[in-house]
Amino acid sequence: MSAGRAPSGGRIDRARSIRFTFDGRSYSGHAGDTLASALLANGVSMVARSFKYHRPRGVLSAGVDEPSALVTVLRGKVREPNVPATQIEIFDGLVTESQNRFPSLDFDFGAMNSLAGDLFSAGFYYKTFMGPVIGPLRGTRFWMFCEWFIRRAAGLGRAGHERDPARYERMNAFCDVLVVGSGPAGLAAAKAAAVGGKRVILAEQEPVLGGSAKWSGETIDGIEAAEWASAREAELAGMPDVRLLPRTAVWGYYDGNTLAALERVNDHKADAAPGEPRHRHWTIRAGAVVLATGAFERPLVFPGNDVPGVMLAGAAERYAVEYGVLPGRRIVLFTNNDSTYRAAAALRRAGAAIAAIIDARREISAGARQLAQEAGGELLTGHAVVATSGRKALSGISVQRYDAASEVLSGEPRQIEADCLAVSGGWSPAIHLASQAGQAPQWDERLQAFLPPKPTQNWIGAGAFDGAFTTRETIAEGTAAGATAAGARASRAKPPEVEAPELDAAPAPIFEIKAKGKAFVDLQHDVTAEDVRLAHREGFVSVEHLKRYTTLGMATDQGKTSNVPGLAIMADAAGKSIPEVGTTRFRPPFSSVPLGALAAERHGDLKPERLTPMHDWHVENGARMYTAGLWLRPQIYGLPGETVEQAYVRETRTVRDGVGIVDVSTLGKIAVQGPDAAEFLDRVYTNLFSTLPVNKARYGLMLREEGIAFDDGTTWRLAEHEFLMTTTTANAGKVMQHLEYYLDTVWPELRVHVASVTDQWAGAALSGPKSREVLAACMKGTAVGDDALPFMGIVHGEIADVPVTVCRLSFSGELAYEIYCGAGHGIHVWEALMEAGEPFGIVPYGLEALGTMRIEKGHVTGAEIDGRTTARDLHLDWMLSKRKPFIGSAMMDREGLVAPDRIQLVGVVSLDNRALNGGAHIVEELDPENPRGSVGHVTAACYSPVLGKYIGLALVKGGKARHGTRAHVSDPLRKRFGPVEIVSHHFFDPEGSRMHG
Amino acid sequence: MLITCPYCGPRDLAEFSYQGDANRTRPDPASTDPEAWNAYVYDRANTAGDHREYWQHSGGCRVHLAVTRNTLTHEIKDVALARDGAVKKPSARRKTGAKA
Amino acid sequence: MVEPVSPLGPAHRPGRHGNPASGIGVTLSETRPGSIVEAAGWPGAEKALIAAIRKATGLALPDGAGGGTTAKSRSAFGIAPGKFLIVDQAEGAAEALRAEIPIETGTVTDLSHGRTALRIAGPKAEWVLAKFYALDFSLPAFPVSAGRATVHHDIFTQIQRTGEDQFDLYVFRSFARGFWTTLCHGAEEVGYEVR
Repeated sequence: MSAGRAPSGGRIDRARSIRFTFDGRSYSGHAGDTLASALLANGVSMVARSFKYHRPRGVLSAGVDEPSALVTVLRGKVREPNVPATQIEIFDGLVTESQNRFPSLDFDFGAMNSLAGDLFSAGFYYKTFMGPVIGPLRGTRFWMFCEWFIRRAAGLGRAGHERDPARYERMNAFCDVLVVGSGPAGLAAAKAAAVGGKRVILAEQEPVLGGSAKWSGETIDGIEAAEWASAREAELAGMPDVRLLPRTAVWGYYDGNTLAALERVNDHKADAAPGEPRHRHWTIRAGAVVLATGAFERPLVFPGNDVPGVMLAGAAERYAVEYGVLPGRRIVLFTNNDSTYRAAAALRRAGAAIAAIIDARREISAGARQLAQEAGGELLTGHAVVATSGRKALSGISVQRYDAASEVLSGEPRQIEADCLAVSGGWSPAIHLASQAGQAPQWDERLQAFLPPKPTQNWIGAGAFDGAFTTRETIAEGTAAGATAAGARASRAKPPEVEAPELDAAPAPIFEIKAKGKAFVDLQHDVTAEDVRLAHREGFVSVEHLKRYTTLGMATDQGKTSNVPGLAIMADAAGKSIPEVGTTRFRPPFSSVPLGALAAERHGDLKPERLTPMHDWHVENGARMYTAGLWLRPQIYGLPGETVEQAYVRETRTVRDGVGIVDVSTLGKIAVQGPDAAEFLDRVYTNLFSTLPVNKARYGLMLREEGIAFDDGTTWRLAEHEFLMTTTTANAGKVMQHLEYYLDTVWPELRVHVASVTDQWAGAALSGPKSREVLAACMKGTAVGDDALPFMGIVHGEIADVPVTVCRLSFSGELAYEIYCGAGHGIHVWEALMEAGEPFGIVPYGLEALGTMRIEKGHVTGAEIDGRTTARDLHLDWMLSKRKPFIGSAMMDREGLVAPDRIQLVGVVSLDNRALNGGAHIVEELDPENPRGSVGHVTAACYSPVLGKYIGLALVKGGKARHGTRAHVSDPLRKRFGPVEIVSHHFFDPEGSRMHG
Repeated sequence: MLITCPYCGPRDLAEFSYQGDANRTRPDPASTDPEAWNAYVYDRANTAGDHREYWQHSGGCRVHLAVTRNTLTHEIKDVALARDGAVKKPSARRKTGAKA
Repeated sequence: MVEPVSPLGPAHRPGRHGNPASGIGVTLSETRPGSIVEAAGWPGAEKALIAAIRKATGLALPDGAGGGTTAKSRSAFGIAPGKFLIVDQAEGAAEALRAEIPIETGTVTDLSHGRTALRIAGPKAEWVLAKFYALDFSLPAFPVSAGRATVHHDIFTQIQRTGEDQFDLYVFRSFARGFWTTLCHGAEEVGYEVR
């Protein structure tokens, strides 16, 4: 046992014990612990196996930057993989397990990869598997053989297959000032901005506000920094216009000062309150943003720098001060900067022994020297760690004399025993959000770090984010930034007094100690310093290429700890400076975002759907509902034991012989009104509507501007200046938009209003030879005979005391009427029609029967008006008026659109008495082994009760000329091949005598 | 991306539908000039920089807007109601017998 | 007179629901007005339209984007340039408006059956609505009586604020049941009562 709980200290609640499990073993921690701090408190330092080499890994950091300690959290059978242990708050009953190991973390077969380490260098997979097949062991085919094994061996955690029952929600927020980060800078900024009723949101990714104040050990205004932070938090919480969002990671900075944030609402609880989401995804629109996101410490790169027990110095300090956990009993620190000395002193105060402080620099500041004395242990300046010992836990280090200028190591390596090595390679401001919303970041030679770029959006930086590393500067910057963001005058109040050691913020430009052995840059993707150099030797000059080739910084941590060291090594190999090599641009997300939070409520039962006014009746009367776009429509009303085909054949026969009723409420309906309405319709339809008398309907066809058929439907003239246009169900929205576009942008001089009235009207179509009798039986206030209501005529009357409008038109080819009433009366009228139809044997029919009758009639729908066909292809050229220009008229006669070999609408009859499938190809010569030679395709198919055959509609090249010839359907995916006869698309009653009758 | 609708104020991109290049002019409806129609239907400038384009506020007031957007930075420099900017052409009344 | 049927059907479950610890964060109801009418004026005829609406309904609309007005059983608000939604608990508003609005001024479209009016009221109304709409529901940004047109996924919604903590939502009837279910779902966290 090395790491463990310190006897006292930390801001955990020692009175509250919490039990959790890791890899099946039960452990105890305290309220306020993260999984990482609790495991360390229990002496568990090895928590993971690495990505590629399966090397033992421990905890490197204490926050969102953690590359190594990734675990899987289990909630019931739901697995959430790749969660940093540093970001998991423990609770009673928390179940976690380690990843990427088999059979166990302690004994892992995959660790053999480590022995074959040189094989798996950068580009190994490309070099081995991609490209042509050369011999048996190379090439893409070999990859396909090996992939299963490799995918199992490599990678991170395993995703689960269980449905996640958790609730995810979205939230929209608006504020004047958004402050990101709640360290001293963020707290000061929020306070300064929260003046004069300004709305302020303060987002902090960690559960407790305060940032570095929680562990700095400094004194602000005479009180301990952590208490100062708590007091500021309480003050802000009491302000009505301030919203504090702890556990909320701002992960994206988008145009228009819109930011995306993820609030982990109850990941830290065993049970959610009723209705409480697990995560809340915030979209925040901010007037101004204060970025106070702090800085990430970066490790030094040296051989063996990945053994469990090697940790960032700032993290070690944080475990000791915030969590009361000692990451080791005998600690060595290795650094190139002053900040580590404060960590050393803190670790000593918490009860650890400091074996040595090793500083690659020869000279250090007086402040650092004083802290070193406080910490005790040997101070070795001008030295470097060159190796570590211990595999699953650090047991010691080797140190040599080091000259930073020449990078020369000298003297005999010396062994020092240690169970924890705390390292620091300097600090990198967390400029991720600024990089998303700014130009290229600026390299600062003194701080050896990229500083925030020039903003391209309205944000202001403060604190360590901005390269201000002392708390005094940080608070001053935060206060100024908050005031500026709020458009307020800067406060004249005296800034708080801060007592802190005087340290030099500038590190030495040292990133790597070159000695023998694997030295890791990216711990999460197992990228070594040698991989970076190999990439350089192989000609990868651009940092963007380097990143993709080595996968450096491309893991779930997005290289928070590895980017700058990787660049430095690349620059060194290329003989360039870091700014010359440049950096990649950070992209969202800053930290992991579960897909559930992005999908939020738009799935499952909450998916938008549209119901017709008669929906409940359909369901109660045995309809099988079918999804058509967002609409739910009856497919069939099956009787017990009936197949779908039996049901629609029965429904179709009843309509053709008697009468049936179908819900047509889903048809798009657009009110077109105004003095120029008729003129407008003449322009958008291919045929004339200005000549249509009041109370008459006409079938209309629309083209797109390039001459392709767009939509069809009937339009009714209800008054001189008022039309009701109907569209296909699927195109209702598109047609509406089409009309609005022309009225707004092309013909603004036309006085026409369009309004969607699809939902205003319930519609029922009554079809069949007995439909007139049914209508006559229930209609009041108007006659419905041929004189009063001829084909395409419109009458107004009442059915069961409800006003209705009836138009005599037919989709089925039978005598038929469409009856419309206010949607709220839909069910009432429908039931009245059913009752009136009962003596005539009326049946309700669904989409299948509707489709069957339209195929028998050769009517086109969206399957044929598919965005590729012209009016002529569909034999609708009779609708193209020569008396006026219309949308599409100028382009529709182009050579390619009138060519004789274009696909044309035909009918097909199955000659092997088997069903046809929509989408099957039509071929002249059948060759199932080598399907080819498509001359068209089947667009719709059914069993035709009137013909007693399986038939279909098809679009076939030169189709009309093929009438009476044979061809074949070729449908290799569904293995349906067979002969068909090509015929006219008018299968049934081509003269239309039935609907006129 | 936010678009400031002159009627509704700044709204999220999700409320808008892109409705194409706003730099083209529809030829006279009676025109049979294939070049002019081809240019209207197919030719697009593909500007790298300020681009005038139509956006419909389909999830709001449903009005078409003429938006000047920088295609490199997404910066929106101007938004106006499309009908205010649409060239007031003489009402294109039907010409009997005119074949398109 | 045949009473129109509510589209909410079995999804309308009166009573208290959601988190009992939260109290009643919002009250949800369907207001079932007799008339929902869209009146639209031609460019340049907006003032004449506003005057005609006033004559027909007594509602005095302000002449600004999204402006609205509420009276005891009636309300109206702007939904687009030159377009207004007029709502009346009584039937017959479409006819009354048609009588006052000649074709030279504009047009009238009866949407009484086509739109469903849902009311959300209570201290958490802004919070619950913010889950669905990217709109600033705070009182200064969205004053009482004002109207806004927006969308939640595919569900187009016209919203009028009819009180400091009360909003009336007008959605397409076919979407109403699904949207109501979604609204109830979103309100569970704060506790809700259906009236």
